[in-house]
Amino acid sequence: MAGTGIRQSVVGPYSTLTPATVLQPLDRLTTSPRSSRSHLAPEDAFNAASPPRRSGGFDHSSNNNMSLLRDTVASSSGGGDVRSSRRRESKFGSRSRSRRRKRNWKKILWVRQAYPDNYTDQTTFLDSLQRNPRLQPYEFWPLVADTTVIVQQVCSVTIFVVCFVGIFTERVSPVAVVGWGSFATFVGWAVWDWWVGQKGEDEVLQRQNSHRSRGAWQPRQDGGSASANSTTAPTTPSAASSVTNLGSTERTTSQGNLTAMRSQHGGSVTSLHSNGSHNSRLLDPQDGLRHRPSSPLRSGRATLRLSTIKSASLIYFTILGLSPILKSLTRSTSPDSIWAMSFLLLAINIFFFDYSGGVGVKFPASLSTNAALMASTVLASRLPSTGQVFSLTLFSIEVFGLFPVFRRYARHRSWRYHVALTVLLTVGAGGGMGLILGEGGMDGLLGVLVGAFIVIVAMGASSWWLIGLQKYKNAMNGPWDQARPIIISRRQWEYD
Amino acid sequence: MPRLTYNIAMVSDFFFPQPGGVESHIYQLATKLVDRGHKVVVITHAYADRKGIRYLTNGIKVYHVPFAIIYRSATFPTVFSFFPVFRNIMIREQIDIVHGHASLSSSLPRGPITRILTNKLLKFILSDVDHVICVSHTSKENTVLRAALDPVMVSVIPNAVVSENFRPRKYPPEPPAPNNGFGNATPAVHHLGPNDPVVIVVISRLFYNKGTDLLTASIPRILENHPNTRFIIAGSGPKSIDLEQMIEQNVLQDKVEMLGSVRHEQVRDVMIRGHIYLHPSLTEAFGTVLVEAASCGLYVVCTAVGGIPEVLPSHMTVFAKPEEDDLVVATGKAISALRANKVRTEKFHDQVKAMYSWDNIAKRTERVYNGIMGDIPEADFYGYDVGNTAAWNGESHSGVRSFALIDRLKRYYGCGVWAGKLFCLCAVIDYLLFVFCEWVFPRDRIDIAADWPRKIYHSDDDD
Repeated sequence: MAGTGIRQSVVGPYSTLTPATVLQPLDRLTTSPRSSRSHLAPEDAFNAASPPRRSGGFDHSSNNNMSLLRDTVASSSGGGDVRSSRRRESKFGSRSRSRRRKRNWKKILWVRQAYPDNYTDQTTFLDSLQRNPRLQPYEFWPLVADTTVIVQQVCSVTIFVVCFVGIFTERVSPVAVVGWGSFATFVGWAVWDWWVGQKGEDEVLQRQNSHRSRGAWQPRQDGGSASANSTTAPTTPSAASSVTNLGSTERTTSQGNLTAMRSQHGGSVTSLHSNGSHNSRLLDPQDGLRHRPSSPLRSGRATLRLSTIKSASLIYFTILGLSPILKSLTRSTSPDSIWAMSFLLLAINIFFFDYSGGVGVKFPASLSTNAALMASTVLASRLPSTGQVFSLTLFSIEVFGLFPVFRRYARHRSWRYHVALTVLLTVGAGGGMGLILGEGGMDGLLGVLVGAFIVIVAMGASSWWLIGLQKYKNAMNGPWDQARPIIISRRQWEYD
Repeated sequence: MPRLTYNIAMVSDFFFPQPGGVESHIYQLATKLVDRGHKVVVITHAYADRKGIRYLTNGIKVYHVPFAIIYRSATFPTVFSFFPVFRNIMIREQIDIVHGHASLSSSLPRGPITRILTNKLLKFILSDVDHVICVSHTSKENTVLRAALDPVMVSVIPNAVVSENFRPRKYPPEPPAPNNGFGNATPAVHHLGPNDPVVIVVISRLFYNKGTDLLTASIPRILENHPNTRFIIAGSGPKSIDLEQMIEQNVLQDKVEMLGSVRHEQVRDVMIRGHIYLHPSLTEAFGTVLVEAASCGLYVVCTAVGGIPEVLPSHMTVFAKPEEDDLVVATGKAISALRANKVRTEKFHDQVKAMYSWDNIAKRTERVYNGIMGDIPEADFYGYDVGNTAAWNGESHSGVRSFALIDRLKRYYGCGVWAGKLFCLCAVIDYLLFVFCEWVFPRDRIDIAADWPRKIYHSDDDD
């Protein structure tokens, strides 16, 4: 017990478990008399030079101590790297320690432990630290693939600018622009309508197989409008989602559509009977009866198309009526302000565009779309004739309002369509730039080549740069961070 | 050898009359330090009707210094405008130790920018301190990491509760009647009858970081699994509307009672109405309320986040992950354990009383004061692993931190590429301000305040 007493008097009430304590008399002999630090830690053996505050004759004697320590205590560890051998030593030492010191430090507060408050346990301190826990390292080719959506948007804007310049310099007839644009829009709409119909059928099939296990609690991955059908029966996914998508394109009539569709939900459910022959279980009369709607076959889709055409014509005539007003809108503004402003607005369109959006997003990137429409309005007001103004405005709605919806669907549908569309847009934008900057057909070809080259280089370089930037990422997380709650619920909780 | 006593200034944005956790922490700590013979001065900002100097019980002197308030009674770190007054108080009261109190990351809005700002500010503040006291080991890890400090200069001293204020319902009143015969008996065991409802109490501000979303999602499911259960929810905040919606949607008005905000002194009265305390917080440095609940004899169900797992032993708590499912399961476990009368909640109060007391906290804080004043040997204070940490950080520890201006500037400069220069600028301006003050208001012209008679502290039993 006397030994313990001495040890305490030197080391303090919270004395350590290091082998140095055991070897203390030895220290006393070898070191010169010192005021406060009269014992050694095993680390002194390895880091004899590092603690700068060590004073007096200690430095000279520490080497002796070091060898002594190593011989007596760490003989079993036999070298190896410093940290691991230190750890082994302390374990080794703890066995020969007095009974009282046996209890290890624990990371708890409710027990008063025989360690000082500023004790730092070397083995557990920052144990739960995680570096970049949610880091997904980027790969080159997927990144390049993802840049295509940006390329598409930039090319669309470029094509729009090219068309404006063409109309403005009277090289292109405005009727041709809007005619081809409208034709392409109509084709796109037809394709989109076909896809949506198919997808609705697929979804219904899937739904029928799962037999609406959890009803309204099921999270909808394709983002049907929750307000419309979360409370009603879950068998109207296609109807609701198509309503939503239409709603984003034709805001004026979406409300009408919604009510129309709700009254006769399940129009597409019935359409599965037409092609459900490959799944005999679906022809089960019970099933069919349960979901059989009261309305006639396919009338939901027909109503939908009708209302789309209605709203399209409404927009058409509104623009037609507004064109004379738009024409003189910015007459008093000088042209260079208009160019600067439209450049800024188109830049806003590109930067704030919703590149990540899925197919079901209700109003994706409204700032971006509004900026683009405003840009087209101020640009159109520079044009001399009403017809030109009308053409450009309608064309801008097609390019900035409807085309992104189609592009999103195409990407969702098939990667091949997406790539084809990207190539087409690149060629169009490059060729157009070549034509308006140069003179003849050869310039257009040159434009295509230069455009393609720029696009490819930009895609590769930006991806490579982003990967290079990843090394600066250093997020340190641990239990002290705010936890992310996991809530399974009908409501989509926003995480901060 | 006479006991060493110090003149201590506690500086905080939060102090009475505003109620809150930091406020009562400072008050309790100051009281106990005064009991131990120290002199304590509290410096805080002025409240509407409270400016100038006040005295509190036990001779604690409070300076209410007028500053501008920016957010929820937190003041802007007014380094420069505050400095002349601060210097005056320091000299007038002959302060040895400045002890600042702050609660970080609790009321700040989150986001990468604010996080960077907070980190930098923390680094700035902590670049120049002798020692840091955290309330839990987890919070120590965080502080060491964010502010790049040497771990030995960070102590962990938990919060405490005044256990007399948090007694269970049937606890014998204190002091026990001398000739009662029941004087030392343990409180009566109260078994839960088979038809008695289990009452779950939640007392928390209803904010996102307090896990109110988890609570909202779990309550209907808990009530579905255990119909004979009631909820009492005290507290207010932006998320209370979600709770109310949940109650209405599920028609739970007769099972969930919402009390609105309650004052701190009423907390005990709310707690003793229940059997289980549910704490779904997403982040917590210590969780004093858990200790209060256990002291009131409640079985505690809480999320295992932050420093919470360190606070209470496992026989008083059921831990859950911060997930809806797990919280429901954990609460179910707690309810079944109570129904089976397996939990000896009547013993909790005495156990908690032995775990956390302000006397102990004050004693441990005093040791930190002794250490930074150099009154206990450096080797004792910084312990055996001085060598370790020096090797670890490549930096000498705080006991020998040099406070020459040039060394402080070096430390500030190391804070960051841009921030370092800015901090240096601040420090230099502050120093010039100091020189200016020394010239305009010379030290010997400042009156020394008369002290209260010091208390003499006798027993220093080593528990």
